[in-house]
Amino acid sequence: MAADRIAAPLRMERSTLANGLPLVRQEPPAGAATFAATFFAPAGWAFDRPELAGRAVLVAELLTGGAGRWDRAALARRLDRAAATLTSHCHPEATEVTLWGPEAHLAELLPLLADAVLRPRFDSAEIQRVRRQLLERQMRERTQPDRRAEKELFARIFPAGHPYRETGLGSPASLARLTRAELLRFFEERYRDRGAGLAISCREPIGPLTRRLEELLGRGGLPPARPGPPLPRPPPPAPEPLQIEVPGGSQVEIRTGGPSIARSDPAYPAAYLANEILGGRSLLSRLFLNLREHRGLVYHAASELEAMRWGGYWTAEAATEPRRVPRVLRLLDRETRALGRSDPTSAELDRVRESAIGSIWIDLENTASAHELAVDVAYHQLPPEYYERWPAVLRAVPARAVREAAAEAMDPDRASTVVAGPLARPAGSTAR
Amino acid sequence: MPSSAGPAGRVVAGTLPNGLRLLLAPRSAAGTVSVWVWYRIGSRNEVPGTTGASHWVEHMMFNGSPNFPKGQMDRAVMEVGGYLNAFTDVDFTAYLTTVPAPHADLPLRIEADRMSRARMTAAEVERERTIVLAERDGNENAPEFKAEEELYELAFRRHPYRWDPLGWREDIQRMTAETLATYYRTYYGPRNATLVVAGRFAERPMRARIGALFGRLPSAGAPPPRPAPEPAPHGERRATLRGPGSTPFLLVGFRAPAVDDPAAPATVLLDTLLGGETRLFGVSAWGRSVEHPSARLYRRLVATGLAIRATSEWRPRADPGLFVVHLQAAVGVSLDRLERALLRELEAIARSGPTPGELREIRQKIRVAAALAYEGPTRTAFRLGYFALLGAPGIEERLRRQILATPARAIRDRARELFAADSRCVVRFETAEARGGR
Repeated sequence: MAADRIAAPLRMERSTLANGLPLVRQEPPAGAATFAATFFAPAGWAFDRPELAGRAVLVAELLTGGAGRWDRAALARRLDRAAATLTSHCHPEATEVTLWGPEAHLAELLPLLADAVLRPRFDSAEIQRVRRQLLERQMRERTQPDRRAEKELFARIFPAGHPYRETGLGSPASLARLTRAELLRFFEERYRDRGAGLAISCREPIGPLTRRLEELLGRGGLPPARPGPPLPRPPPPAPEPLQIEVPGGSQVEIRTGGPSIARSDPAYPAAYLANEILGGRSLLSRLFLNLREHRGLVYHAASELEAMRWGGYWTAEAATEPRRVPRVLRLLDRETRALGRSDPTSAELDRVRESAIGSIWIDLENTASAHELAVDVAYHQLPPEYYERWPAVLRAVPARAVREAAAEAMDPDRASTVVAGPLARPAGSTAR
Repeated sequence: MPSSAGPAGRVVAGTLPNGLRLLLAPRSAAGTVSVWVWYRIGSRNEVPGTTGASHWVEHMMFNGSPNFPKGQMDRAVMEVGGYLNAFTDVDFTAYLTTVPAPHADLPLRIEADRMSRARMTAAEVERERTIVLAERDGNENAPEFKAEEELYELAFRRHPYRWDPLGWREDIQRMTAETLATYYRTYYGPRNATLVVAGRFAERPMRARIGALFGRLPSAGAPPPRPAPEPAPHGERRATLRGPGSTPFLLVGFRAPAVDDPAAPATVLLDTLLGGETRLFGVSAWGRSVEHPSARLYRRLVATGLAIRATSEWRPRADPGLFVVHLQAAVGVSLDRLERALLRELEAIARSGPTPGELREIRQKIRVAAALAYEGPTRTAFRLGYFALLGAPGIEERLRRQILATPARAIRDRARELFAADSRCVVRFETAEARGGR
């Protein structure tokens, strides 16, 4: 069983419901007793107007807070009886609603997903409850070093009006403006759109599954997809790190990052490998080896490439004690620059890409993790055989392409840096 | 070797002559193999001065052994797409590696190599000290960690459950390489270990390979010291912490039974009733408690607007531990008000127990969740090892049967004992930004 023969368990197929909703179906892992189903809609917080910030997240949370004839408590009891879960996740571009449960209960559970995305109740008590939770999350964004650093980093990378600038939580004032009517309006606008889609990992064959979903989600046509918001050009980065004093903790959180490429960019496979080399492939990555393993400066150091539909960004992160911040900053910068200047050695590149290819086996251990691949294919409108071809695609990327992709997609000269925490020697600009 | 077929499917159990216990779960449909070594050593076996030693040893186990010099084991596993990690708990430490099935031999060689021959040089221990401290620093950034540490320090005055497995900062700063190496040499070895292998492999060659790799290891591993029991509490204990971080929250802990106590099944049911977690019988048995809108605390405290989060947690332990309720206040709600509301709910359950409908629903939830919990080799190996460390063979099925047969009145009686005011510990976390309220 060679690592590149991963095709069978990853088999996906496409279908389209009568109303135009695209569907990706994946066979669950052998022996799995569970299914997973995700509905996604172009309803992320990029569509929030500034004065109504928090709206997309609030609506996303409310989808699982009661729908159809089920109020929140009744829905929870119904899910509990089957040990199932219904969750939502909102990001700048979209919201995903995912149902997970025993395969044997698929037929009786799928209507709950349909209710959630077609007939959410928006009960007043639920709106108040979610609003309270968002207020608390806003408070953590102000007072927790990691969340504060992330929020400030995006505000530094992206200009006002850019869809990736915000974290979606809004402010106390914007939340206070969100009436039930406003939430319903957002739901009607954003959740009935050809930009929506479905990914399902289950045993039911695609024909009967498509018919079942048509019964549940309607046969009428959806309005055409609307384009995403414009992407204003990111400003030149500030030369010095933004230093934010956040008292009460022991450790300073460091975030650096900048704009990057979209998932559809032809350079994505090379940029993916560049990020894996920098900090994405944990124990093999340069950040882990140089900051933790060789120097013992940090417990955690990693990087991430977030290549989305409209565009993307990359970030690198580490946390350390205040007196080590300057050294860690220098090393983060050095490693990022090195990646765009020199080709990785063939040994390093081979190690990282074979690791990435082999790890798909681990993703296929259970339905929940395998399903993430199906959601990826569905959301990014990739061919169903995308992950079958993925090993060959990665193996075809030369070292030179990795360097060039790093220079373009993870450019340190377009990066901003934020440090937040109990700073020992505040320097540069300071925000409180 | 005898085999059994419980909720995990077919499992073969055995013991090597040097004392190493084995659990093998061959699964022909899987694409991976997951190898876990569970050591019956955790912070419960430490003493003041060496707190955090088990966790520090966990770090050192990745720093090289005779056949895997520093960095080689990480690299070898990652290169084939595998995943490796470890975690230290109060009662045990677990090391796990999951790899694509053709590479199953690799984690076996790693575990055999480091079981009693991990490198503990002074230079490596010193370098790792800063990383362990950095891990502790990172935890200290979270107010929840500080509050939980305070809660256990309040509740336990003698027993090692007093400290977190990370250990006290002062002990991490002072502990010598020799102390750490002695701790490792004394307790780590086949006699204190359970090897669990789940996934795609043939049983007979796997047994032979395990025999070849582990059978030659010396029969090391002294019985870890049993901690002295914690005296019964004689009154409520309280503490207040202040700092930035979130809305105020409350941790309320009650002295709870050990896993082998006859009261354990009713305690599991109280945890599920109040907080909603199926815990031992869920997919995320080891994860943090999450929101369960059907649970009683949620319905009475979150749905009514007093709290934004209300969870309960009883983790089965070798010795009596804590049943903990975590409540996070909604903006503008005072901790006094929240605490009064909680105590009313606990009094209600102690007075009346669960309703027939509640009991029916939590039993059903546990029954179904238990059937889903073994999906994939990694989860299977985790659960087999975890239950093997918790108690005698068959403990999972025995507990499950007892839980499903426990009547409402036993849960009510358990609540009366569990939530006694004399064993209550309360930690309040107040924040400057959100102080005050109704």
